[in-house]
Amino acid sequence: MSNRIKNIAVTSTAAALLMGLALSAWLKPADEFSVSERRPLDGMPELTLDSLLADEREDTFMSKFEGYTLDQFPLRDGFRTLKSIASYYIFGHLDNNGIYIEDGYAAQLEYPINEGSIDYAAAKFKEASGYFGEDTAFYFAVVPDKGYFLAEENGYPSLDYDRFFTLCREKMDFARQIDITGTLSLENYFKTDTHWKPETLGGTADAIADAMGVTLSADYEEAVLDVPFYGVYYGQSALPLPSEEMRYLTGDVLDGCTVYSYEAGREIGVYDMEKAHGKDPYEMFLGGNLTAVKITNPAASTDRELVVFRDSFGASLTPLLIEAYSEIIVIDIRYAPLSMIAGYRDPGGRPIAADLGTADDVLFIYSTLVLNNSNTLR
Amino acid sequence: MLFSSLPFLYYFLPCVIILYLIAPKPIKNTVLLLASLVFYAWGEPKYVVLMTVTILLGYIFGLLLERFRGRRSAKVFLILSVGVDLAFLGFFKYADFFIANFNAATGLSVPLLNIALPVGISFYTFQILSYTVDVYRGDTAAQRNVIDLGAYITLFPQLIAGPIVRYSDIAQQLKGRRHTVGKTAYGVRRFVLGLGKKVLIADTLAAFCSAFAASGDKSVLFYWLYAVAYSLQIYFDFSGYSDMAIGLGKILGFDFLENFNYPFISGSITEFWRRWHMSLGSWFRDYVYIPLGGNRVSKARNIFNIFVVWMLTGFWHGAAWNFILWGVFFGIMLLIEKLWLLKYLKKARVWNHIYVLFPVLFSFVLFASVDLADLGRNLGGMLGLGGIPAVSAETLYCLRSYAVIFILALVGATPVVKKAASAVENTKWGGRILTVLEPVGLAALLLVVTGYLVDGSFSPFLYFRF
Repeated sequence: MSNRIKNIAVTSTAAALLMGLALSAWLKPADEFSVSERRPLDGMPELTLDSLLADEREDTFMSKFEGYTLDQFPLRDGFRTLKSIASYYIFGHLDNNGIYIEDGYAAQLEYPINEGSIDYAAAKFKEASGYFGEDTAFYFAVVPDKGYFLAEENGYPSLDYDRFFTLCREKMDFARQIDITGTLSLENYFKTDTHWKPETLGGTADAIADAMGVTLSADYEEAVLDVPFYGVYYGQSALPLPSEEMRYLTGDVLDGCTVYSYEAGREIGVYDMEKAHGKDPYEMFLGGNLTAVKITNPAASTDRELVVFRDSFGASLTPLLIEAYSEIIVIDIRYAPLSMIAGYRDPGGRPIAADLGTADDVLFIYSTLVLNNSNTLR
Repeated sequence: MLFSSLPFLYYFLPCVIILYLIAPKPIKNTVLLLASLVFYAWGEPKYVVLMTVTILLGYIFGLLLERFRGRRSAKVFLILSVGVDLAFLGFFKYADFFIANFNAATGLSVPLLNIALPVGISFYTFQILSYTVDVYRGDTAAQRNVIDLGAYITLFPQLIAGPIVRYSDIAQQLKGRRHTVGKTAYGVRRFVLGLGKKVLIADTLAAFCSAFAASGDKSVLFYWLYAVAYSLQIYFDFSGYSDMAIGLGKILGFDFLENFNYPFISGSITEFWRRWHMSLGSWFRDYVYIPLGGNRVSKARNIFNIFVVWMLTGFWHGAAWNFILWGVFFGIMLLIEKLWLLKYLKKARVWNHIYVLFPVLFSFVLFASVDLADLGRNLGGMLGLGGIPAVSAETLYCLRSYAVIFILALVGATPVVKKAASAVENTKWGGRILTVLEPVGLAALLLVVTGYLVDGSFSPFLYFRF
């Protein structure tokens, strides 16, 4: 009798679960975007004879349908969290999808050193240096990722950071290295995101400015973004991590600057508040993924001009340097090659190439994450 | 289509079960055949034509073999039937292997065909061969209903990765099947547990193996852990699939034979192969080894027979030299045991089990090797050659990160859990507690597996390529 009850319970439970989830999957309207993963989701593919018989597997209806079911499964984020909890807390994995959590900070496993990647980045930077005049001074700063503070001491595989910095110095021998590691600690970084917190970078900006022979003394006030910030690791790890506050600095210096986007062909703010409320609030700094912007500071303490080659870390730091320069051109070569960017023109018709030729200082500021995976550089 | 995929679990399977349940008895096999063809077409629609031709040829040859049984022409039809089936298998699976070796031997450059391998061709070809040979021998009657034969050949639970179900074992079930709650519940249990074995253990061990392959910080310990992880991965992958196939079979009213019986607890390699991929071992025994004379021949001929069988067993697994060597290695091990070692192994209680693990680990390192250089690297690494350290930071990290899965896999590869569950069930309160806990546990397992599938990337079964 007990066996019969158990068999009925097993069969009915499984049937209810399977059919319930199946019906939900069939009937659920498709979502267009995953907020937690910051990416568009696959929609239902078109069923045609061509899509059924396509030569390449990834072009077939079947392959696309599999992608659709993965992206559109009901309670998708909940299931991802369930998996992460099972993986992390039940099966004892030390990382989930390459993200580990230590001291409340989520960080990405990043190892080993990809020397070829550093070579490639250095070659790209060397190539860029050819656009500048003979009197231009070159600097570079490597932004350590959170693993610098967390990985080795907590038993996670780690980059050999000393060697990493040495390799960078050796391969970028045309530029002077600015060591900013001493100005940073774990508290400078978001807990759920890759990035550092811009409002904590005063010491780092001072160190860079000092190395470049300029002085920073402006006062700023902190402003808090009115939406909770969930960093990129929140979505990747799928673990229930608390939200954070996104803060940014305001003040007379920044208020007096103009920021021109070459791609948009118009002025934008230092902070793009539309992007601040978008899928990735960290894109609020200097327009996020724009390839070239020019910041002009009419109240500059000098008439020096700076060019910054940057990733997203550099985008949030650069505004802090503007008080010492009359003009900063900020370039991101992850989205377009410099040969193309150099042809962009400002409203007066002056190409970036001309500005590069007269720049006093050039700063390459990139994170270890980009330098170790530099195939994104064009 | 993979069992461990969302399209199968939440689209295909519910539809098929509903259609199967509402279909009147006379057309249940038609539903199964059509569903199986959809299942097969999901991987490569063009090969449905090949499958249809294969079914029709099997059907016609079956009838001819029965019609002319005992006559000389029956032997001709048998040769034709076996020849056609092996020709399909040889063309699609082995043509490029032979061309590549021909090119290597002659220095010519005959272009490779680069044909996509029809999924499961090794499995269903062996099923058809067993059917036609059994009909020829008179061990079973020819199937007169092409739908029923088609349902047998294409039956989706075991179509693409076995177990190799012989027609004679399910001929009666094709005519009519009993469906009971007990049988269905058993099927659900086997299916969900098999799914868990595949997704939670095998795929996680696969991630460990990938981490090993990508590591620039290898160590002797890492090489050994890799060997253990890969051996356990392939076991949980394949036995998990077999569990799912057997479970689905039960849900649909079929009784498939077991394919695995805790092979890692074997006390000899001979026993290992009685517990590992049992349907393949018995197939080669009944359709190759015994027809060659088995062991009722001279010792020299018997040794020859053993080597032929094991070379073919290796070759069946893949069109590459490492698979042939893998088969030959087991042939040598079985021969050594047969001639000298087995009598000592049978008397031993502990060391024989430890002994088995080393050739098995070696065999799976050989199995996984891309080429002989890769094999040399892996074996050299296990022996500490090449100046690699005994332990590295990455090894320790991976060991810590995968320790629970390793322990689960090692324990799960023995009957300990099954015996413990059985012991609990046989107690007064244990049975009652399990009545509540089992459905809840299975539901939780299905939900967690679904979470893994939603979060994870595609991970095909290892035995798909066979």
